[in-house]
Amino acid sequence: MPILQIRQAIRDAMKEEMERDERVFLMGEEVGYYNGAYKCSEGLLDHFGPKRVIDTPITETGFAGIGIGAAMCGLRPIVEFMTFNFSAVAFDQILNNAAKLRHMTHGQFGVPMVFRGPNAAAHMLGSTHSQAFEHFYAHIPGLKVIAIATPYDAKGLLKTAIRDENPVLFLESELMYSVKGEVPEEEYLIPFGQADIKRPGDAVTVITWGQGVPVALKAAELAAAEDLSCEVIDLRSIRPMDEAAIIASVKKTNRAVVVYHGWPQGGVGCDIVARIQELAFDDLDAPVLRVCYEDLPMPYAENLENLILPSPERALAAIRRVAYKR
Amino acid sequence: MATVVTLPRLSDTMEEGVIAKWRIKVGDKVKRGQVIADIETDKATMEFESFDAGTVLKLVTPEGEALPVGAPIAVFGQPGENPDAAGAPAPKAEQPEQADKPEKAAEPAKAAAKPVEPRPQPESQDEVKAAEVSAAAEAPAPKATSTGPEGQVDRGRIPASPVARRLAREHDLELAQIQGSGPHGRVVKADVEQAIAKGPTARPAAAAATGPSEHVPAASLPPGSHAAEVDEYGRPYISRPDRTVKLSQMRKTIAKRMGQAKREIPHIYLTMPIVMDKAVALRAEFNLSVDGTKASLNDLVILAAARALRKHPRVNAYYTDNGIVERGDVHVGVAVALDDGLIVPPVRFADQKTLKQISIDVRDLGTRAKEKTLKPEELTGSTFTVSNLGMFGIEEFCAIVNPGEAAILAVGAVQDEAVVEDGKIVARKRMRVTLCSDHRVFDGAESAKYLQTLRKLLESPLALLT
Amino acid sequence: MTQSEAAPDAASDSTVDAAYEAKLRADYDGQSREDVLRDYREMLRIRRFEEAAARAYTRGKISGFLHLYIGQEAIAIATQQAMEPGDRVVSTYRTHGFAIALGSDPKACAAELFGKAAGLVGGVGGSMHFFDKERGLWGGYAIVGNHIPVAAGHAFASQYTGDGRVTLCFMGDGAVGIGPVHEGMTMAGIMKLPIVFVVENNQYSMGTPLKRTLPVEDITARAAGYGFASDRFHVTSVQETRRRLGEAVERARKEGRPTLLELITYRFRGHSMSDPAKYRQKEEVERWRLNDPLERTLMALKTIYQVPEQELDAIDETIVAEMDAAYDFADKAPAPAPEARFENVMAEGPYYGDSATTRPAGVE
Repeated sequence: MPILQIRQAIRDAMKEEMERDERVFLMGEEVGYYNGAYKCSEGLLDHFGPKRVIDTPITETGFAGIGIGAAMCGLRPIVEFMTFNFSAVAFDQILNNAAKLRHMTHGQFGVPMVFRGPNAAAHMLGSTHSQAFEHFYAHIPGLKVIAIATPYDAKGLLKTAIRDENPVLFLESELMYSVKGEVPEEEYLIPFGQADIKRPGDAVTVITWGQGVPVALKAAELAAAEDLSCEVIDLRSIRPMDEAAIIASVKKTNRAVVVYHGWPQGGVGCDIVARIQELAFDDLDAPVLRVCYEDLPMPYAENLENLILPSPERALAAIRRVAYKR
Repeated sequence: MATVVTLPRLSDTMEEGVIAKWRIKVGDKVKRGQVIADIETDKATMEFESFDAGTVLKLVTPEGEALPVGAPIAVFGQPGENPDAAGAPAPKAEQPEQADKPEKAAEPAKAAAKPVEPRPQPESQDEVKAAEVSAAAEAPAPKATSTGPEGQVDRGRIPASPVARRLAREHDLELAQIQGSGPHGRVVKADVEQAIAKGPTARPAAAAATGPSEHVPAASLPPGSHAAEVDEYGRPYISRPDRTVKLSQMRKTIAKRMGQAKREIPHIYLTMPIVMDKAVALRAEFNLSVDGTKASLNDLVILAAARALRKHPRVNAYYTDNGIVERGDVHVGVAVALDDGLIVPPVRFADQKTLKQISIDVRDLGTRAKEKTLKPEELTGSTFTVSNLGMFGIEEFCAIVNPGEAAILAVGAVQDEAVVEDGKIVARKRMRVTLCSDHRVFDGAESAKYLQTLRKLLESPLALLT
Repeated sequence: MTQSEAAPDAASDSTVDAAYEAKLRADYDGQSREDVLRDYREMLRIRRFEEAAARAYTRGKISGFLHLYIGQEAIAIATQQAMEPGDRVVSTYRTHGFAIALGSDPKACAAELFGKAAGLVGGVGGSMHFFDKERGLWGGYAIVGNHIPVAAGHAFASQYTGDGRVTLCFMGDGAVGIGPVHEGMTMAGIMKLPIVFVVENNQYSMGTPLKRTLPVEDITARAAGYGFASDRFHVTSVQETRRRLGEAVERARKEGRPTLLELITYRFRGHSMSDPAKYRQKEEVERWRLNDPLERTLMALKTIYQVPEQELDAIDETIVAEMDAAYDFADKAPAPAPEARFENVMAEGPYYGDSATTRPAGVE
């Protein structure tokens, strides 16, 4: 099976879908002649031409809105945010137009489109460029929110996202674009709402997604050295969420730790904890813990950033705590 | 046909309005869109443009009167038409409007009441029921106590993880019987699994009434009285388990000796107020003048007590069946409170020591008592004890005589009090001391005399410095 | 230009009658009696619909915000005439006029205002969110200015698919300061989209006169920066408005060049129902009334076309009856079913929430 980087898997997904469906186009800053700020659209302009691979000015509200308007007319736009931090500029378009139009128009219109780009902290980018947006978007009914961590998932889920009839927020990771993995040559789709058990185990359930996945896997490896077997669940799809997978695992292990990028207060982590306590209360042997950013803006300085980011060591400490080991 | 004009609702929150000014009069011909009145709403005074055309037949409402939205205010029609024909006059016309008005008026009221009204009562009752149900489910009641609030025994009071709780329930195990290994003694899954592996434990009903870690026996609560278990909002009171603290060696000793003393010694208590103004002043002066000293009032009391003992040897004594032993030396024990108990190291030969020396000794004994570095011989040999709780604001109290002594002086706080002296009320610093003594050794009169001596020494304290 | 100057000269002229009539005759030169009667009838339908809405609001039948189109009707009628089937109108929260002009059923419009199932969008949108795709009404947007990029997106789709349609995007004078307008217009200019941006300048951004919201009062001065054509005029007659709108529509369709139009108009009512509009003078309102296109059309019908009073009254009565029937229908129509709230949230069908913990009771 070919080994691809995540960026190549993303590019292949877009390429295949654009070849399959003429209504699909890619729009965003530097997606064309520059081949993508992170080279996710490398070669697409040459292949499809400027009609379908469209460079935009720096107008997040403008091109997010154009995407929405085009989707209402039946096209299937892929709008790339150079980083999801810039999606904040277009937040009203996503919140009030993309998420609401099907409802507001009583089904006269749909908004089948994908907003994609890197999400969460990368490395030393400071507070404005180091934020995790799934916590904002997963709050909103009418949207779907996906976060990927492997080339295989990236390709299969992006193809599904492009074919979905709803607006999909597709969250990638700048730090993980070079992560390599096997990607089948034949076509495949990964349905939304299905978590993937990235590592089976029976002592502690570790729930994670996106950039949290490598942190959780590393922590699980460290825990294994201490005879603690962790089951690492990669949600992949945050909205809809594979609640059943989480609950099934917690019923087996009786313990859970949620590892993710983002602040502790009021986000997806809290939501998962709430679901567990409500649906698996009688199966819990320890409080459910979260390992995420400290409740602080991200500083530039490397040592400070490292203190705030969720680390395998912090995840391991939480795993030990819920397992009553030390 | 005549048309009834009603008071318009001019804002989403307007419930009533006032015709501030009529801009039309009876007989005027009104066009659609013409301003016919200024209407005061909750937000502003607004011009009311007519939705209807016609001749004004009647103005129902005078200016300045507050009306509910929808009330008839005017009647338009053809000139000469009878305004009342349209069912228009004020009282009659109100009916159709009124018909849907109470409904409307009631609606906001209902809406406002909604979140409040149905909530507290039924829900809290549900909660109570739910709590009872889960309590019953978690701890099937032993038959013997089934009328009492037996669910209390292990309803959430024993810290246990939910899964441990469930497993215990499923295996018919009493959580109270399982030692918790988690934080704060939480019973966790592993603990229950261990207990399951050990095989079934008997769950005698008696278990609930025995053992040191038991709760209030169910029988002590009024039978069937659920009211006693919930607060005024219907929330169950939170019951927490008793805690058995192992007896420390010190605690054991205190228990033994105090028990013995209280059983064997017939106590007699006499309280004496002492004016401490001079003593207080002397102590302050002393501390200023004598370098390296920080004498406390208690040091002064110890010194005075010791000197008084020299004058009243019977107080410095102890009882034996063979005779009363009056002690030759005066070693005044000083009660030092520790975390879980107290010790009474003596200031030896206190009657012969200077205030400075006593102060140094007391400080040293106190410090080393807390550090637990006193030698055994430093802890014994007192012939009399001074116990001071004045620093806690205790005015006076009764203490238990230490076995081997005849008396203990219980010292209260020095307080500013109004005292009558020579028929005048004056402010004085007063302290009450209680001599608690062994009646077998001496009587009340001797005790009183000792206290008089003590008072004299403390009220004219210069002699203490000799 | 100040507000008072914004009213056409005729209004302040002392020889108002003669000048007024001369201008009237010039404006209606070459128009048939039937055409003028049609324009009158169409405008009157909007006005009577809006008046009935105001009345229903005062009776507590309509809640929320209600923004009326009274005074601006000619723009909607001219737009309808300047469009071709399939062209799109994207508008604001003051949009009843477009719905009526484009042929939406007044019954469905009234039912929407009443929050009824038979409403234009099933009672979920209310006054501010009118959509009638079939008739070319593509919104209905209540966040000021956020529809400009979306409308540009529709125009982009036309360019992408070559469907030959034009998008007409309306906004108020108060919208032009907000960011999405700039971003949407920038994109439309760069991409050369088949779109017409129309600012309905009704003189007030809610209660703030435009001289306090616009650094340069000529809004079309901005067109140059986006590479748009532009046009700016007082709306006093349907046909003049139709002609100049039509030029912009053709420019969009044939040349793919956007136009920025500023239509100077006036709303005779407050911003919304709870606004007494005390920030403007009575005289100002009266001066504008003389130039109310509906009023002028009526005047033209009476003076130029000599239409008998009875005929005009009959038209009015018919329309009033139509609107009364629509509101009566709305009043009696059933409210949406409880399960209607699950509809149209997600494309897959009824949506009950993402978690078993938050779904309504009885839903799996």
